[in-house]
Amino acid sequence: MKDLPPVARLPILLLGMTSLIAGVMAGLARLAWDVPHLASNVAGLHGALMIGAFFGTVISLERAVAVGQRWAYLAPALAAVGGAMLLGNAPLTIAQTLSIAASLIMLASSLFVLRRLVAPFTLVLTIATTCWLIGNLAWLTSGLINVAVPWWLAFLVLTIAGERLELTRFLPTPAAARQVFYVIITVILGGATLSLWHDSGLKLFSGGLLALALWLLRFDIAWRNARLEALPRFIAICLLGGYLWLAFAGALGLAGAFEAGHPLRDSALHALGLGFVFAMVFGHAPIIFPAVARVRIPYHPAFYIPLALLHASLFLRIAGGLSGDFALRREGGLINAIALLSFIASMLISVMRGRRAQIER
Amino acid sequence: MTTPPVQTLLEAAPLDVETVRSRLRRVVDPEVGVNIVDLGLVYRIDLSPEQLLIEMTMTSPACPMGDMIIDDAYAVLAGHLPAQCTPKIVLVWSPPWDPSMMSPKSRENLGW
Repeated sequence: MKDLPPVARLPILLLGMTSLIAGVMAGLARLAWDVPHLASNVAGLHGALMIGAFFGTVISLERAVAVGQRWAYLAPALAAVGGAMLLGNAPLTIAQTLSIAASLIMLASSLFVLRRLVAPFTLVLTIATTCWLIGNLAWLTSGLINVAVPWWLAFLVLTIAGERLELTRFLPTPAAARQVFYVIITVILGGATLSLWHDSGLKLFSGGLLALALWLLRFDIAWRNARLEALPRFIAICLLGGYLWLAFAGALGLAGAFEAGHPLRDSALHALGLGFVFAMVFGHAPIIFPAVARVRIPYHPAFYIPLALLHASLFLRIAGGLSGDFALRREGGLINAIALLSFIASMLISVMRGRRAQIER
Repeated sequence: MTTPPVQTLLEAAPLDVETVRSRLRRVVDPEVGVNIVDLGLVYRIDLSPEQLLIEMTMTSPACPMGDMIIDDAYAVLAGHLPAQCTPKIVLVWSPPWDPSMMSPKSRENLGW
């Protein structure tokens, strides 16, 4: 079966981006910012919009482009439509069912990848997709986002971990270090599983996150690439900063911060989601977006501006969280949103720059 | 943009496998900062008067950048082939890429 042409991938991506925008505004509503009704109505669904609808769409889209089969694009399409259903106030079970279907199709894509190459990193990517599926099933059966969150986070974290593990193959990583990596993945999965019954699972999960961050800080190729220039250096700096936030999220989680109602839950979730995952997105959008949409995104040093804004605003937000200063956390959250917007703007400007450069060539 | 002198030399030289390889060295994997030839991704370069056949792989079958890198490879070859010779770049997955396929110099740079 033939691949889907890039122009047909764009509507899926744009619909997924709608969930990002709505999800960010829903997040602002939770921090008591005045946002349009469409977004304040879904304030309780911030996590579902950000992880399932937005990241589910872009990660499964990326996987679909890698496998190059038309059926694989059903995963991002269903995830994106699921997000639209949340926004349209459709019965929750519709969005939940769509997200389950999306993760099942992405699992088929991951198995397709696994058939091409059975390797530790392709296995980790498949496990990550399975975590998304389990999270979606947990959401449907329990009706609670809290129950799904550790699995959804595992989906994001293990997808990134699998991709980074792939890149460590360029370096002579000691065999013992690889074994430690597998133990860490097992701890994260064990923690997420235990969390279905008991809050202590969240601490185990957090210990795994902290260990993973330390492992990546020690063995990732990013240290080497930070000494290169232009885009490879930018990507490396995004990663290294992200690993520090992941370590911090893990440390907060060890203190119980991932538990429902914990005063530091906002800090832990956003150190992970914004500091780690979005920093990774900032670094990789200049290579992944061109691969998906087949446009050029030439590197520009201004890429550091949204990144610096993201880190600085997250620092404010978490300082507000740790000191119990809601006003500070609220301001930090608003600047988080501005950082994401400035990132989207920087990508759009770069696409236009890329077009101009191509015309001039 | 000024044309680097090496390019003029290449254009003047008769096309051979080595020339193709050095053109392909201009395609760099941004994740590693190393070009596709020294990464060992180019498995085969078959040159005949009518066709240039290149077989290459990616380090990961989960990586969405395959088509993009192939496009880049076509772009660096454009204008450097005789008019009657068409390039054809094929993505293959067998044998799977392995770190031992990197050039000795890249391996050394990466600490092997």
